[in-house]
Amino acid sequence: MGQTIRIHHVTRIEGHARIDIHLDEAGKVRSTQFHVTQVRGFEKFTEGRPYYEMPAITARICGICPVSHLLASAKACDAVMAVQIPEAARLLRELLHCAQFVQSHALSFFYLSAPDLLLGFDSDPAARNVLGLIEKHPEAARDGIALRRFGQQTIERLAGERVHPAWVVPGGVNKAMSVDTRDLILSDLPLAHSIIRRTLRLFKSMLDQFPAESEVFGNMPTLHAGLVDADGRLQIYDGMVRFIDSAGKTAGRITRPREYAKWIGEAAMPDSYLKAPYFKPLGYPEGIYRVGPLARLNVAESCGTSDADRELLEYRQRLGRVVNGSFFYHYARLIEALYAIERMEELLHLPEILDKHVRAEAGVNSLEGVGIIEAPRGVLIHHYRVNEQGAITGANLIVATGHNNLAINHSVQQVAERFVDGMKLQEGALNRVNAVVRAYDPCLSCSTHAFGKPAYRLRLVGAGGEVIEET
Amino acid sequence: MSSNGTRPRIAVFKFASCDGCQLSLLDAEDELLAVAEAVEIAYFPEASRRMAKGPYDIALVEGSITTHHDAEAIQRIRRQAKTLVTIGACATAGGIQALRNWHDTAEWVRLVYAKPDFISTLKTSTPIAEHVPVDLELRGCPINKHQLIELISATLAGRKPNIPTYSLCLECKRRGNTCIMVAGGVPCLGPATQAGCGAICPSMNRGCYGCFGPMENSNAHSLASQFRVLGCARDEVERAFRSYNGWAWPFRRVFEEVPRS
Repeated sequence: MGQTIRIHHVTRIEGHARIDIHLDEAGKVRSTQFHVTQVRGFEKFTEGRPYYEMPAITARICGICPVSHLLASAKACDAVMAVQIPEAARLLRELLHCAQFVQSHALSFFYLSAPDLLLGFDSDPAARNVLGLIEKHPEAARDGIALRRFGQQTIERLAGERVHPAWVVPGGVNKAMSVDTRDLILSDLPLAHSIIRRTLRLFKSMLDQFPAESEVFGNMPTLHAGLVDADGRLQIYDGMVRFIDSAGKTAGRITRPREYAKWIGEAAMPDSYLKAPYFKPLGYPEGIYRVGPLARLNVAESCGTSDADRELLEYRQRLGRVVNGSFFYHYARLIEALYAIERMEELLHLPEILDKHVRAEAGVNSLEGVGIIEAPRGVLIHHYRVNEQGAITGANLIVATGHNNLAINHSVQQVAERFVDGMKLQEGALNRVNAVVRAYDPCLSCSTHAFGKPAYRLRLVGAGGEVIEET
Repeated sequence: MSSNGTRPRIAVFKFASCDGCQLSLLDAEDELLAVAEAVEIAYFPEASRRMAKGPYDIALVEGSITTHHDAEAIQRIRRQAKTLVTIGACATAGGIQALRNWHDTAEWVRLVYAKPDFISTLKTSTPIAEHVPVDLELRGCPINKHQLIELISATLAGRKPNIPTYSLCLECKRRGNTCIMVAGGVPCLGPATQAGCGAICPSMNRGCYGCFGPMENSNAHSLASQFRVLGCARDEVERAFRSYNGWAWPFRRVFEEVPRS
């Protein structure tokens, strides 16, 4: 009889989900599956609501990166209005987004993953959390808290609130930035900059401690997708989506957001609420691709800011031009946080950012609108159809964790094969299965926007289909 | 406060929601270290793999009940919690996903999923208090972290938390805002909504959209009539009340009770 290991509640991720590990008669891993087990129904219950309510409503999909949904939604609404938003509004939206990258990456690295990295995958699970981190590595914990606070405080200063801010609206933003606000944010930047530099040094000094994790944490050839500008530089707010293969060759480009469906197909997985997007020209499941920090740094030629580009060069010297191991999501995430901080400084020094014209007004001028941005976790697409009155008649949202669904499944399998032995369930092995999922920093609140409820759980399933163990 | 003289034990549970409210606990950066010293975080899957068994002195519950599994789990949580606190619009009113309560959920599931039989979802998204007795509730979409810290401190000290139940208008006035509804004709839910956010939207020239839900004894009917006077169509008024806290009875009843003559 084979067995199934079931991990209920994958912990230290945002939202919940379940992982099933199927074993064969010999207790070896036969297959694994990553399930998302909740749905909330945003695409359906927004039908009939006016399009201009969408940014505020879809921000409620996720409390971790509400700004991503706000921005993708506002861009889709800009397209419905067929307006080009004022330059200051574009810059302010990008500034807000940079602040969100800093807070979200800080949350992922320090609060969710650093306990594994700094305390060890096999350390006492009771203390393997941010509080344990405060005890053992107070300086790193303080840095993490301060960096996240910097990002959140900047969002609050710009937008009035940390979670679900009401500042971003179709056509722009609804309040210009004051000189005082700009100066306040500028005065906080040097501290944020030194924290991220220090954290990068710390992370690089530990890289050698994780040979097995580097090797099997989703180390596989896949396509990568991310936003870049015309010169191939990293973009998080606007640009075209570029797909490259595992060797770095361009496989496709989405230059017009409305054409995304030509490139991205969505497969329904038999028993998960989360759909599995794939790169259409290669079909399903060969069209597996990754998004998020690792993919973005693979897709971009450069970051475009000086310190981040120096770090990117060293990263590529260590790991190669295209990095295919998902363990390095952590490394890429830190480089991106540095980029976001540098980019904020650039933006704040542009005189246009203080301009008082921050909102374009218009009604419905197009019955369809698509907005694409990079959420901290990867490409985020909002697609709306409206009627002449501006009421939503159809909505499709493809979230970052959705794009990564296939890759997460493969990664879980790889880790389970290496670390899980059905005969004896070791805490360290189970934690690594959890940890590979955390490397993607998946957001299950986002991925369950469609309907219901997520919870990461682990389940060990026997060859006969019986559940042997659940956590 | 704790039964056996050790540190009080806090647990954080999540049902259907966006995680934003429980993250407010991690957002309280300055207070986080003090809280960590004063209490034992016994269950907080978002922050730790450690999941200690109950009983808990305080259970913070985020999210609404949308599956059969949720409906059972909340009963177990209630049995293990001395004080059960619901946090945020999902837990206190069913949240934005309660918009499905006015639709045919089964039909959506068939439309969206290849194998709908896998999906065991309830027809409605309901607040925790429709399932178990709730000791305290914190409103907001999301909650205000200062209110969360106040609530934890008050509960630990055995006193009633100092959380306002008056309307948003008081906060708005205190900020010195000109009333956007009276002076600008903008429909604003502020007069019927509980204070707590600091009147963010009216300060940005937008009408309040009710993130903190109905205030105590709110006169939502009268506000709805005023929206009509301002020129809103009936369905616009209905949509205004049916959002993050739309399932809360004082908002819901405006359209479900026989209108007063």
